[in-house]
Amino acid sequence: MRQPFFTVQLRSFFLALLGAWALTLSAQQNAPVNGPHDRAEVLVAFTHAIVHTSPGVALTDATVLIKGDRIVEVGKRVRIPMGAEVHDLTGLHLWPGLVEPFSDLGVPARERDKVKEASGANYWNRAITASTQASELYAADEKRAKALRDQGFTTVVVQRMDGIARGTGCAVSLSGREPAQDIFLPHASANFSFSKGSSPDDYPNSLMGAIAVLRQAMYDAQWYAAGGNKEQSDVDLAALTQRLDLPLVFDAGSAENCLRAARIAKEFGLQFILRNTGDAYTRLADILATGSPLIVPLALPDAYDVEDPFDAMEVTLGQLKDWELAPSNPARIAEANGVFAFTTQGLKDPAEMWPSLRRMVRNGLDSATAIAALTTVPASFFRVADQVGTLEAGKRADLIITSKHLLSADNVIHETWSSGKRFVAKPRHVEDPRGTFDLNLRSTILKLRVQGTSEKPVASVRSAGADTTWVKAVLKIEGPVVTLWFDGAKLGYAGPVRLNGVIHDRGAIWDGQGQGPTGEWFAWSAIRQRGDNRGNREEKRALAALDSIWSLPAGEVWYPMNAFGTTQLPDTETVVFRNATVWTNGPQGVLRNTDVCISKGRILAVGPKLSIAELFPRSKITVPEIDATGMHLTSGLIDEHSHIAIARGVNEGTQAITSEVRISDVIAPDDINIHNALAGGVTAVQQLHGSANPIGGQSSLIKLRWGRSSDDFPIQGAQGTIKFALGENVKRSNWGARDRFPQTRMGVEQVYYDAFHRAKDYATEQGRYASLKPKEKAATTPPRRDLELDALVEILGGTRSITCHSYVQSEILMLMHVADSMGFQVNTFTHVLEGYKVTRELKRHDANVSTFSDWWAYKFEVNDAIPYNAAIMHEQGLNVCINSDDAEMGRRLNQEAAKTIKYGGVAPEDAWKMITLNPAKALHLDSRMGSVEPGKDADLVLWNDDPLSIRAKVMMTFIDGARYYDRRRELDQRMIAEAERARITAKLLAAKQAGAAVRKAQRQEPEQWHCETIGEHP
Amino acid sequence: MRSLALLVGIGLAACLAAQRPSPAPAQTRSILVKGGLVHVGDGRTFVDGAVGFRNGIIDFVGYEYAVKTVYDTVIDAKGQHIYPGFILPDATLGLVEIDAVRASVDAQETGRMEPEVRALSAYNADSRIIPTVRNNGILLAQVTPRGNTLSGTSGIVQLDAWTNDDAVVHADDGIHLNWPVAFARTGWWAERGTTEKEEHAERKKALTDIRSFFLRAKAYAASPAPEKVDLRLDAMRGLFMGEKTLFVHADGAREIQEAVLFAREMDVRRMVIVGGYDAWRVADLLRDKKVDVILQRLHSLPQREDEDVDLPYRLPALLKERGIRFCLGYSGSMERMGARNLSFLAGTASVYGLSSQDALRAITLDAAAILGIDDRYGSLEAGKSATLFLSTGDALDMRSNNVVRAYIDGRGISLDDRQKRLWQQYEERYRR
Repeated sequence: MRQPFFTVQLRSFFLALLGAWALTLSAQQNAPVNGPHDRAEVLVAFTHAIVHTSPGVALTDATVLIKGDRIVEVGKRVRIPMGAEVHDLTGLHLWPGLVEPFSDLGVPARERDKVKEASGANYWNRAITASTQASELYAADEKRAKALRDQGFTTVVVQRMDGIARGTGCAVSLSGREPAQDIFLPHASANFSFSKGSSPDDYPNSLMGAIAVLRQAMYDAQWYAAGGNKEQSDVDLAALTQRLDLPLVFDAGSAENCLRAARIAKEFGLQFILRNTGDAYTRLADILATGSPLIVPLALPDAYDVEDPFDAMEVTLGQLKDWELAPSNPARIAEANGVFAFTTQGLKDPAEMWPSLRRMVRNGLDSATAIAALTTVPASFFRVADQVGTLEAGKRADLIITSKHLLSADNVIHETWSSGKRFVAKPRHVEDPRGTFDLNLRSTILKLRVQGTSEKPVASVRSAGADTTWVKAVLKIEGPVVTLWFDGAKLGYAGPVRLNGVIHDRGAIWDGQGQGPTGEWFAWSAIRQRGDNRGNREEKRALAALDSIWSLPAGEVWYPMNAFGTTQLPDTETVVFRNATVWTNGPQGVLRNTDVCISKGRILAVGPKLSIAELFPRSKITVPEIDATGMHLTSGLIDEHSHIAIARGVNEGTQAITSEVRISDVIAPDDINIHNALAGGVTAVQQLHGSANPIGGQSSLIKLRWGRSSDDFPIQGAQGTIKFALGENVKRSNWGARDRFPQTRMGVEQVYYDAFHRAKDYATEQGRYASLKPKEKAATTPPRRDLELDALVEILGGTRSITCHSYVQSEILMLMHVADSMGFQVNTFTHVLEGYKVTRELKRHDANVSTFSDWWAYKFEVNDAIPYNAAIMHEQGLNVCINSDDAEMGRRLNQEAAKTIKYGGVAPEDAWKMITLNPAKALHLDSRMGSVEPGKDADLVLWNDDPLSIRAKVMMTFIDGARYYDRRRELDQRMIAEAERARITAKLLAAKQAGAAVRKAQRQEPEQWHCETIGEHP
Repeated sequence: MRSLALLVGIGLAACLAAQRPSPAPAQTRSILVKGGLVHVGDGRTFVDGAVGFRNGIIDFVGYEYAVKTVYDTVIDAKGQHIYPGFILPDATLGLVEIDAVRASVDAQETGRMEPEVRALSAYNADSRIIPTVRNNGILLAQVTPRGNTLSGTSGIVQLDAWTNDDAVVHADDGIHLNWPVAFARTGWWAERGTTEKEEHAERKKALTDIRSFFLRAKAYAASPAPEKVDLRLDAMRGLFMGEKTLFVHADGAREIQEAVLFAREMDVRRMVIVGGYDAWRVADLLRDKKVDVILQRLHSLPQREDEDVDLPYRLPALLKERGIRFCLGYSGSMERMGARNLSFLAGTASVYGLSSQDALRAITLDAAAILGIDDRYGSLEAGKSATLFLSTGDALDMRSNNVVRAYIDGRGISLDDRQKRLWQQYEERYRR
C-alpha cells in the first residue's frame, strides 16, 4: 500500500500529534451535553491477532492499538500503554472494516404520490434532482446498519436512489452516533441513473428519453455556468456543474446500460463509476475499454427449478448460462485488469454475501482482490482511502474480529468496531454446547443430549438405562448462563425439573442450582462425555457438495448470451459463389449461371466463370467456393421500417415533440429478432422511433451484426434520420389522455409550424453568437443548446431526413405543404396507405414511399388501405419500399414483396427491389447497398430457390462479407446449444439437491414492438 | 396487370353495387369445370381433371376424359388449379370491422364464463373484410367469440350470404375455453418481473372455477328437464351429448396436458386443441385421446427465445410425423384482414416438411373434419357441396394465388371487393 502521508520515520512525530487530533475529532460534537462530559480517551489494544492490514498482507501475532475513533498503531512490536483496554485475540483474525459503496441506507426514495408540484428553483423535470444532498437527508436506520455491521461493514456511501440525476451521496460511518458525527464526508459522490424514480412527470417514459433528459440537463448546466444563471435560477443546474468533480456513480444496470452510461461520460469528458448488475462479463472488453471502474453485486442469480422438463422449457439458455457464469463476473473483470468494488445491494440479507463470495472465489477470483473490492477499492473510489480500507495508523478505527479468514466457510464474525465503537455480532467466547452429557441431579444421573445448531441447540433428556426414550427439554443459553427444564414424570420425578447454571471449560462442564417438582432446591452438574457435531458435519457435507458443484468447469461466454450466440464471431470472407442466379438489381437484371466474388467486405466481381487468378493477380490465394447451382443470390434485404433491437421503449410519446431522443442510444444487440431477421435475409434495418408524437425521436440505421457490440451496429457514414408521425396515433385517438395537444389533424399541422419556426429562430440565435468576435463572445451568455431544436435545425439544413408515419391523403398533403413552406424535405412517407391517392403530389415532393403489402382495417384511418397501393405507386414512378414494422413480418419480407405481384401485377424484379435497392435509395445508402454490383458492400443472401416464391429459404446471409447466418451451421449450433443446456441442467439439479436456493421458471417472451407500443409502464 | 381486364368488367358492375358485392343466387344451371389440375383435398389430384356440379352438389370429380354426362355450362380451366374452398377455423370474421373503432367490435362479451353467447347472432355477413378474404379462396369460416375463460359458442358460416341466418353452415358447433396459462409474464414489457406466488394462486383458482362450472354443467345436462333454465349451463349441454365440440385454446405443453385430462374427466365427448404450439411435445396423449389440433398462425415467431427460427413453420410436419390430425388457424393480431393469407401458411408448411397435398388438406378436408362439416365440405367429392374455386396458379403461394372463379354451394360468387374497386378507381384516375 502506498502511504502518501506517513512514513516510518515520521511515525513518532505523528504519534505525538495524534492525541490532540483525536480529541479534536471527538470534540466536533458541538451540542450541549447533559451531565458530565465523557472525557476519557481510553486506548484499546487488540493483541496476538492475525492482522490483515491490507488486501493480501497479514501480520501474525500482531497488535492494533486504537484511541477514540482512530487507529494509533499497528504492528508486531507495539508497546501497550498503561490503562489500555486489552483484548487478547489469540487465534483470531483482525480485518479492516468493509466499505459498502452503493447504498440507500437512511436515505429513502421520495414517495411517488408525495412529490409535490414544482416548488423552489428546481429543474423543470423532476427526475433531475441534482441538488439533492444525502448528507441533508441521512437518518440512522439501525436495523439495516446492524445487518451490514454484522457482516463487517463499517462505512457506507449512501445516496438517495431516486431520479436520473440523484444528487450527492455521503460517506457514513456505521457507528450509530448522531448523523453529524457519522457522516464523515458530506459530498462523497454525485449520482446518476436511467430511472426517473418517483418523478411524477410523464417525461421520460423510455430509456432513450432518460438518456436525452440527462444529456440536456448537462448541457443546460454548462449554459447555466456560462451565464445562464443571470437569466434564471436553478439549484439543480448549479449543483450539476459544481458536483462534476466528485466521484460520479452511475447506477447503470445491465452491461449494455453500462456502455450507454459510458457514452454519456465520453460526450461530456467525464468518467463514471458504473454500477453493473452482474453481467459485465457479457460485454467485458467493451466496458473495460471505457476505462470505467465498476461496482458489481455480491448477489448472484438463484438456481432455476428445472426438475419438471415442462418448467425447464421456459428457462432460456441465456438464463442458464448467466446463472453459471455470473459468479465468474468479478474474476473475469479482475483478469482483464478492470477495477471493481462489491456492493451488497440486491442481497436479501447481507449475510448471503459470504457464500456468494466463496462461489466467486471458486470461479477464479483471487481472495486478496475480493477483500480489496470490499475495502481499499471502494475507499479509493470515494477518495477516503486515507481514512478507511486498511488497518494503518491514522485511519478510522474500523475493524472486524473474526474466527477464521473472512472467506472461509466456517468463519464467524465476532465483532465489528466502527469508528472505535464496539458492536458484538457473535460473542467471541461462546462455546458449542452440543454433545452428550452425564447430567448429575443430586443422586440421579440422567443423560442429556444437545443437538441442533450451536445457535439454536435442541436438548433432550433420558434415564441412564440403555433403552429408555428421550424426553424433550427446553434449553436456553445466554452468554455463559444456561437454563434447562424438562418434564421429569418419565424420569422418576413427580413433575417438572428446572435448572439454572453456568457453562465452564469450553462447554465441557455445566453446573448450578436446580429446583425439583416439589420445590426442593439442589445442586447439579453436567459433564460432557462426547462432543456432538453431527449438525456441523451435515452442514459441512452440504457445503462440500455445493463447493464441488461450484468448482465444476463453466461454459464459455457466448456472443450474445443465448441459444444462437457464438464464441467465434464471423470474419470477413473471401469467397466465390459459383453458378448462381444473381438478382443484380442493376442494369443487367437477373443473371443466370453467374459467379460472384466477395473480398474485404465488398463485392469484387460479378460475371460468368470468374477466374481467381485474374481477380487476385498478385497473390496465390486459394479462394473458397460456394456451389450455388440452382440457388439464387441477392443483395441483403433492407427493412425501411423496423422496431427490432431496441431496448426499453420504442416511443418517447410523452411530448408532442421528442426529436432529442435517439434510437441509436438504445440499440439492443442481443435481441433475438436480429437473428430471426438474418434468417430471413435481412442485413440492414432502419430502427424507427414509434409513432406516438408528431415529431418523434431520431432513427438509427444499423446492419445486423449479430453477436457484436452495440457500438458495431450503426452504419458508419449514414445520414441522420428522424421519425415523424401523423393521424390517429399522434392525436391519441385510441389511447391515453385526451388533453395532450394535438387531438386533431388540425392541431398536428400547427405543431409542425410551431416547431420549425422555433427551430429557425434558434438557428439564427446560434449563428449570431457564433459570428461574434472572441471578446464579444466572452461578454455574452451563449444561447442554450437545445437538443430537440438541434435535430430540427439539421432537418432544415438537409442533414437529417424524415421518415413520416402516415395514412390518409389529407395528412400526407398537409405535411408536404408544411415542408414546402418551411423549407425542408420529407424524405419518406412510411405506411402511406393512401399514397395511391396522391401519387402525383408525392412525386412532385420527390418523396420516397414505404408501405405494407396488405394490412388494413385495424384502425379507422386504414379504411381505404389497399394491397394494390405499392403497385399503383410504383406504376406512377415513385420509389416504393415494402417494410415490416413487425419482427415476424421482418423475416418474411420476401413474401411480402411477392404480394405486390399478386396485388397489382408488379414485375418480379421490381417487386424484389422494393425490399432491397429501393429502401437503400430511400435511406441514401444505395451507393453502398441494395444491389449485387462490384464495389458494393458484400451484403448478400443466398436462397435455395426464387426468393419471391413461397419455397424460398435463406441458406446464408452475409454482411460486409462476414457470414452471420448459415442454415447448415445453424444445425450444429442447435446441437451445441442443446448440449450446453443439458450440461447446465444437470448442474442445476445437483445444486438444488445440495441445497442451493431455487426459483421457479418463468416465461421470457421476446419483446415485439410496433409503432404504437407505448410507454415504459404497463 | 394480368387480371386488370377482368377487373374492369367487375368494376363497372361495382359502380352500381352498394357496400359489397351482392351474394349470388342459387345454382340453376349445371356446371362442368374441366381441364385443370384438380386438388381433391384428401391428397389426390387429377391432372387434366374435371369437376361437375348441379344444384349446388358435386356429381363428378375425376379425369376430364371420364366425364359422362352433359352440363349446361362448361368452363375451360386449362392451366388452372381447382381447389375445394379453403376453411378458416377459429376466426372473428364478421364480429369486428375496425379494431380501433369500439362500436364495430363484437368479439368479446364481459364476464368469465359465458358459453351462452353465440357468435352467429352478431355475425355481420356484410363485413367489407369478408370479400377480400374470400377472394383468396377462403369460402368457409368458423366464427368464434374471443376472450374470457369460456368465450362463448362458435358457428360455421359460408362467406357469401345476404344475412347471418343465410350464412349458417353449422350453427353453434362448439364452445371455446381459454385454458389458464401456466407461465404468466410479470412486470412490464421492458423490465420483466418475477412469477409471483399470487399468480400461482390465481391460476389455481381459475382452474378450480372451471372445474366447478363444468361439474355443475354436467349435472345440469344429466337432468332432462331442469326446473329453471340456466342459460350458461344450458349452453354447455351439447358438450356432454356430443352435439358440440369443446375447443380448448392452449399453447403450452402443460396447459394442453391439463386440458386434455380435464375434458376426459368431465366426459366431454369431443375436444379440439386450438393454438397447440407445444402439441407435438404431448403428441402421445393427444393421439391416445383422439384430440385434433387447430394450429396457431404459422407465420409467427418462436414463442421461446431458444427455439429454432423455423419451429413455427415446422409445427405441421411435427404433428404429421406424430400422427395428430390438425388444421391451420390464423387467430391473433390482424386476424380478420390477415386471414386472406391462410393458404400461404399452408404453403409455408409445405416447404418445411409437409407434402403440399398434406398442406392443402390442413386448410380443406382436415379443417372440415375437425369442425365436423366434412360430410358436406372440405373436399371435391361427389355428393359434397360444390364449394370450390379456380386459381390461375398455385394458391398456396402468394405470388401465384389468383382466384378467377369461386363457387359456394354451386353459386358462382362475385370476386369483387372494396379494395379492388379502389384500385380500379385510381387506375382510372391516373389513366386520365
